Amino acid sequence: MTTTQQAPTEQEVLTAIAGMLTEVLDEIGLDDVEITMETSFTEDLEIESIDLVTLAGALRAHWGDRVNVADFIAGMELDEIIELRVGSLVRYVTAQLA
Amino acid sequence: MSFLEANGVRCHVQRLGPPEGTPVRGTVLLIHGMLTDSLASYYFTLGPTLAAAGHDVIMYDLRGHGRSARPASGYQLEHFLDDAEALLDGLGVDGPVHLLGNSFGATLAFGLALRRPAQVASLVCLESMPATATWVTQIDDVLQRSLAGLPNEEAITLIEASHGAHTARMARRAARMLSTTSLATELPQTEPLSAEDLRGVRCPVLAVYGSESAMVEQLDWLEQALPDCRSVVLQGQEHSVLIEATETLRLLALDWLDELEAVPVA
Repeated sequence: MTTTQQAPTEQEVLTAIAGMLTEVLDEIGLDDVEITMETSFTEDLEIESIDLVTLAGALRAHWGDRVNVADFIAGMELDEIIELRVGSLVRYVTAQLA
Repeated sequence: MSFLEANGVRCHVQRLGPPEGTPVRGTVLLIHGMLTDSLASYYFTLGPTLAAAGHDVIMYDLRGHGRSARPASGYQLEHFLDDAEALLDGLGVDGPVHLLGNSFGATLAFGLALRRPAQVASLVCLESMPATATWVTQIDDVLQRSLAGLPNEEAITLIEASHGAHTARMARRAARMLSTTSLATELPQTEPLSAEDLRGVRCPVLAVYGSESAMVEQLDWLEQALPDCRSVVLQGQEHSVLIEATETLRLLALDWLDELEAVPVA
């Protein structure tokens, strides 16, 4: 029996990404931080760009090839990447899966 | 995350390939620089571009960097070269490989070209030079100064105030690496390459420098020392060409590989 997959809402995507981030943060030994749309990857989470690579892999494993973080980031300047907030990523993923 | 045990060290690898149905044109190994660098600097710049253009792109974290293991010792150039060879073998890459190295990554690439002259098809050197006596002196100087100036938490707070949180984080990361490994003492023990050794780098080399960087001084010497080397100088750029001139580098790399992989029209 096939079921039609509903495109996820922003809230659902945020929850999923927060879960993945918590795993990444656990691995690098940081305390639990509340992850919201406003959370900054580098300032609030102290995430290094290498962790974004891990996150990219987790996103692709979860949602498939339509979610390509490398593509998403490719057009950005270094400043933009440093200032990236979770909300931007959530909006990108939601749009890709719509 | 993908890991491979290479030369006894857990190695973090990312591999990007061309879109489904596109034939693979060639294999490219991207090698990052030292201390605060990782494969992320390629993952978000050249990696996807080269893959989209039809290449099998391999990016990895050097020992001690990114998410690869950080042994306390084993940081002479030879160790990094052993890792790279083990990585290629472990991934089953036995055909020709194009190398692209950034800073220390390019120094490593030259070493790999000497170890595997039949396999290394070409080499792009970003802001760097092979491991000659000059290089050993320079790297020793850089590492000793870094070691001597290891920032403590107080200094990092000052760095944060004057240069921002990002720079402070990088400083902390570099300090952690230097204080927990023997990199600073071991790497300068690397046996330097002679002029004769360098003539063994027979593959085509493209050397890219920023006009404002200290490394650009090496340009003329390098073109003379290698059998097949051409250079490009990026005006107004300093050492971090990969990040600051990404789009230019994308085009340079694509054109370079196109030229090398050009198939004669029947």
